[in-house]
Amino acid sequence: MNIIKKYIPLTIVFIFGIITLASYYVPHRASDEYLEWINKWENIVSAFALFLGMISLFYSHYKKIQRKVDGWGYSLFVYIGFFIIMGAAILSEGDISKEGKLTYLGWSFNNIYNPLSATMFSVLAFFIISTAYRSFKIKSFAAFLLFICGLILMIGNIPLGEIIWDKVFGWTKLTIGEIKDWIISVPSTAGRRGIMIGIAIGAAVTSLKIIFGIERGYMGKE
Amino acid sequence: MKEKLNKILKLDRRYLFVLLTLSIVIPIIKPIGIPSKSISTSTKDTYNFIENLPEGSTIILSLDYDPSTAPELHPMAAAVLKHAFKKNIKVIILTFIAGSGGLIDELVRTIPPQYSKEYGKDYVVLPYMANPLAALTQMASDIHSFYDKDINNKPLKNYEMMKNIKNYKDVAGVIGITGTALLDYWVVYVGDKYGVPILGGVTAISQVGYGPYLQKKQLKGLIGGMKGAAEYENLISQPWKGTSGIDALNIAHILVIVFIIFSNIVLLILKFL
Repeated sequence: MNIIKKYIPLTIVFIFGIITLASYYVPHRASDEYLEWINKWENIVSAFALFLGMISLFYSHYKKIQRKVDGWGYSLFVYIGFFIIMGAAILSEGDISKEGKLTYLGWSFNNIYNPLSATMFSVLAFFIISTAYRSFKIKSFAAFLLFICGLILMIGNIPLGEIIWDKVFGWTKLTIGEIKDWIISVPSTAGRRGIMIGIAIGAAVTSLKIIFGIERGYMGKE
Repeated sequence: MKEKLNKILKLDRRYLFVLLTLSIVIPIIKPIGIPSKSISTSTKDTYNFIENLPEGSTIILSLDYDPSTAPELHPMAAAVLKHAFKKNIKVIILTFIAGSGGLIDELVRTIPPQYSKEYGKDYVVLPYMANPLAALTQMASDIHSFYDKDINNKPLKNYEMMKNIKNYKDVAGVIGITGTALLDYWVVYVGDKYGVPILGGVTAISQVGYGPYLQKKQLKGLIGGMKGAAEYENLISQPWKGTSGIDALNIAHILVIVFIIFSNIVLLILKFL
């Protein structure tokens, strides 16, 4: 059992990990062909992952409905929404529009998915305004710096801000756009670069740990 | 006095919500029309890139956003597409976001007829792919081996504009308009590796994160947020939703700033009382 559950997956990961890593640095027809082949596999696996995700989603909501947990009624909408859109997609043969006219799927997209998705995201603005008023307390120098940078970026992102800046600080001969660009290209970029390098090193180390079988979390419980 | 100020600080949030709603809805119903005084360098760079492309070039337009970020990104996509068609540039439209189908459909239903552009000759739309990394690396060797059919399920090779397009060597650049990290993928897996010019359009909130790529010219241009969209519409002299949306953004931004300053002044007074 150990061979099937442990050694075979580890060997597959090691072999494909090393070859894929090497193919990135070897500019040869063979590595191109290999990547082409592995990409097709990756696409198939991704499609199955979507399918698995769907099953998992349905199962967890089914359990919620079965146990009648708080808000179980919302779980029903997962099924209702899924089957409405799927039905529309089947009737429309997957097309959003045909000969310039919206199909059932196109109608569902424009009148159900589009407004619902936009509404969910728009709710964020209300949380921001509430947080800005009730929680953004400038109690330290760091908070003050954060406020100033945020203020400059916000003012710099709107034409009205440019007008206000020019009226109040026009005498400095500096435009809000210049200050905003400086913040983005100097302190922010420096910080961002540090984070990016950290993430890249972390990803490289984790990948090597997976390839060499040190990190085995993906295999589930031993 | 102290009690009153505390009451102001603990104001029912519903009043704030009403104010925000009004600050967004009123300018949309009755636009103020505040003009943008300046155009950011990165938006101008994107405009110049398309402007300077020779007629007949082909670009890839990767539209990776769904309705949640559409108010900022959809006007950008429309403006870039209009500009490309105006300059007789051929466009390959693709996406890695399943929810973008309806938005892309809206663009290709409305914009190409305005410029008398023909499907298959001036633009094609590729189907959604679930795995962006596989698509990005695969297109380096052969686009047709990965996307053998277009969104209408017809062989891609049969289209006139695709006959001479094999891989990235045959495209003049990629413009990735996205509310996700897909622009990073285009930079890392395509721009850096194959030397393809990469440009982008992102939401205002993620614009700041692209500073390192812009600074090193890994990104040749970037349209940021609704202001970027309005700037681009201004550059191509075709005002649309970016220009009209910026009014609402103006007032809402100012409202947030006023609230932060006001609540902190109240807090400061309370400290000395």
